[in-house]
Amino acid sequence: MNENIKNNPHFDSYYDAVVIGAGNGGLSAALQLSIDNVRVLLLEQHNLPGGFATSFVRGRFEFEPSLHELSNVGSGQDKGFMRKFLQDKGGVDVEFIPVPEAYHLILTDEGINIKIPFGIEKFIETIAAAVPGSREPLERYMQTCKETFGAIGYIGRMNGVPDPKVLMEEYPSFMVTAGYTVKQVTDTFGIPDRALEMIYPYWSYLGIPVNRLSFTIWALVLYNYILKGAHIPRYTSHGMSAAIDARIRELGGRTEYSTRVKKIFVEEGRVVGVETAAGERIGASYVIANLSPNIVYGSLVDDRNNVPEEAYRLINARKIGASAFVVYLGLDASPDELGIESYGYFIGASMDTEKSYKNFFTFEAPEMQATICLNRAIPDCSPPGTTILSMTALAGPDTWKDVRPENYVRFKQEFAKVMIDQFSEAVGAPLSDHIEEIEIATPQTFARYTGAFKGSIYAYEQDPWDSVVARSMSGPQERYIKGLDFAGGYASIGHGYESAFLSGRIAAQMALKKIKR
Amino acid sequence: MEVYGKDKDLNAFFGLVSERQERVKRASPLPDMEDPISDLSRMLHPEGMRLVVSVVRDETPSVKTFRLEPAAGSGAGLPVFRPGQYVSLKTKIGDAWITRPYSISSSPSDVLSSGYYELTIQKKEGGFFTGHIWDLWKEGTVVDLSGPHGNFYHDSLRDSYDIVAIAGGSGITPIRSMVREIFAGDLDAKITLLYGIRTPDCAVFSEEFDMYAAREPERFRVIYVCSEPDDTWRGPAGFITASCIMEHAGDVKGKTFFVCGPREMYGFLDRELNALDIPRRRIRKEASGEPVDIASEPEFPVETKEMTFSLVVHMGNEARTISAKAVDTILVSLEKAGIGPDSQCRSGECGLCRSLLMAGDVFVRPDGDGRRTADKKFGYIHPCSSYPVSDLEIRIPLTGDVVTAKNGNSSWNSDGGTTI
Repeated sequence: MNENIKNNPHFDSYYDAVVIGAGNGGLSAALQLSIDNVRVLLLEQHNLPGGFATSFVRGRFEFEPSLHELSNVGSGQDKGFMRKFLQDKGGVDVEFIPVPEAYHLILTDEGINIKIPFGIEKFIETIAAAVPGSREPLERYMQTCKETFGAIGYIGRMNGVPDPKVLMEEYPSFMVTAGYTVKQVTDTFGIPDRALEMIYPYWSYLGIPVNRLSFTIWALVLYNYILKGAHIPRYTSHGMSAAIDARIRELGGRTEYSTRVKKIFVEEGRVVGVETAAGERIGASYVIANLSPNIVYGSLVDDRNNVPEEAYRLINARKIGASAFVVYLGLDASPDELGIESYGYFIGASMDTEKSYKNFFTFEAPEMQATICLNRAIPDCSPPGTTILSMTALAGPDTWKDVRPENYVRFKQEFAKVMIDQFSEAVGAPLSDHIEEIEIATPQTFARYTGAFKGSIYAYEQDPWDSVVARSMSGPQERYIKGLDFAGGYASIGHGYESAFLSGRIAAQMALKKIKR
Repeated sequence: MEVYGKDKDLNAFFGLVSERQERVKRASPLPDMEDPISDLSRMLHPEGMRLVVSVVRDETPSVKTFRLEPAAGSGAGLPVFRPGQYVSLKTKIGDAWITRPYSISSSPSDVLSSGYYELTIQKKEGGFFTGHIWDLWKEGTVVDLSGPHGNFYHDSLRDSYDIVAIAGGSGITPIRSMVREIFAGDLDAKITLLYGIRTPDCAVFSEEFDMYAAREPERFRVIYVCSEPDDTWRGPAGFITASCIMEHAGDVKGKTFFVCGPREMYGFLDRELNALDIPRRRIRKEASGEPVDIASEPEFPVETKEMTFSLVVHMGNEARTISAKAVDTILVSLEKAGIGPDSQCRSGECGLCRSLLMAGDVFVRPDGDGRRTADKKFGYIHPCSSYPVSDLEIRIPLTGDVVTAKNGNSSWNSDGGTTI
């Protein structure tokens, strides 16, 4: 390796840590490392930081591409992880704006049209008022979720090595539920079906149906959102990504964009450096990869002999999670004029998660949509008298694989029309008469801008055997190359903004212990 | 708390790891890198293309059409695009990089049926780049260009079936693409074209337009509006005014306007379209590129007009100091110095040339400020629509050619300059 470190006019010959990918996980890792005065280099193939956490401009609108609700920000008095890490520890110049309600659920076949608020008590109260007989089982259910939420927090505080006795005594429902799916656990509570439909919408943030989804991650997500509420950053996710990038540089870290890493060099089972697509070689004793292990083990590690067979078996055993189909609209009327009263909608015929999941894989127009009206959280995110709306449906990673270039636009238009009509009918908003800007993102679009393997936005699916719990318990055996770790959706906590930030910080803390300085 | 009995519950918990290990053991040990999603993405949006001039056609004394096809044996197909999109040409002339966006004047159907793009280029009086093309582009010339880009296209969910196209000069090229696509059956729209020409003999594509208009007058009509007519001119004369639009396009209500032409035309047309009270969403305007004479723009700090500043350019660990004229965009100054950062639209919109302003002040052309809000906050500029008003220090993203100029080939534009 050393004799190869030449011809790199743009970089130092060595960094303690190289972070590949400036998605949320990579930004978080690089931020933590620069806080700790580690010599860190963050390399990103795109010309912007953020990965999915970015923005794009069309005409007089700046669109938020991916974020719906950022969890665990908390208030100024009761700070959550995101606020503590980015603002307090990180000194990042980002402002968080609260989202007004958990969600507005419209299920047309069920006659459900209900706004679900944040706050555990208000959440239970609202559903109990709509569905008689649901209060008592819901209270028990939320208590169970609370224990899981608490247990994961405790495991985190113990750096992943909890005392089983404490777990059993203080968070009794954690271990007894962690082996099961959402459905296996939830069915035992006797919650009326109609109430279940009202609590399940967040499943679409996780992307696999309740009969397969790990109860643990579900409980964590549900409780976290309802307890702490949700936020979005001022000036879109790019506002947060650009702020973190600026802070990393201010702390002495180095970030470089439009720079794709082509190779990771491994010698005797240990990372020794990377090579960029332009052929510049950079030495490093630690590499944190904010991208898919499929790409890292499949094409980045310089010689496949450096990758144990086990690593490929693990990749192949896992299932790559959903990508998305998103319609972004800039509308020339205000939300009031359009009759759009809420920030976040879940709209569908019914809340049948298995049926919806099958729909992801059939290459038919989406049946469910999660739609955000950005102006309902940040009224001045677009000029007066206008509205920004983004409508998201999940799409199986391979469903777009047979689309030919000549049909690509036609399919985009067809699917988008179904979603626009669905929203217009359900909400009573005449969208078609007001479209000033429209952009449509498909799995190909996500792959194009972020390099995401198969355009997946949700990394690996979290069945119980591949849940955060199973991953954490298997963690040490699954570190195949010394000095190589993962951050972002493909790390053990899984996808989602907060998880990606957590994973980046954890990877950085691990690196700090290993880097000899 | 128990779910199905404590023993069963804990078995399920401790069984997670063994189930995981079982599944891993059963899985294939071979890497599977197949990713059809990314493959299609690259087909639709290649980073760059190397094409060969196959036909050169004279349209008028000062306008030529160049037909471009993939080099024989390259195996690569041309990406389809949306009618109205552009490609960016990048080439090195002497020590300087030159980049220019050109709308594709042929249609996506031409790609599918015959495998070519056409670029129709007007020779600029004394123009450095177009002069170069005129001299050097012959059949067989190899040309490097970007994949297709841009947002100037008809979208059936947004735009009306009924289009009024207003084109001036070489702004006709994206409109021709749309017209051809309509007649190929792949664009469901009708067009009334108001085509502003300076003199009667400078209309490009008029034979083709007249042929289409005769074939299906309910789908396509063309009205040539001549600003410097001669005695033989029978059509409407002057500029394309509100009354001219009303007379030829009829009731404007519910119609979508596609406007493409030189910058001077936009200022004029903005007022005329304003008078017709057309909603903003019904007017699509192609980005106009760099102004020919920035110093005449009303907001330009005219006191700097004659000045030249020093520009420190950081690229990774390297730094170079170059000179930058107040009337050149920072992108142009970089290119003149032989630094060719990635760029596409050259209008401030696409953000590909996004760079960090570390010190100094710039003038950002107000109608070319497509920056993200947070980028303004954190000191970023788009060099293609920014002008220096003091000495500057900037950091630009690394581009392939910066490195490969020394190290050899690795990115599409690395040796683009040597081929034409």
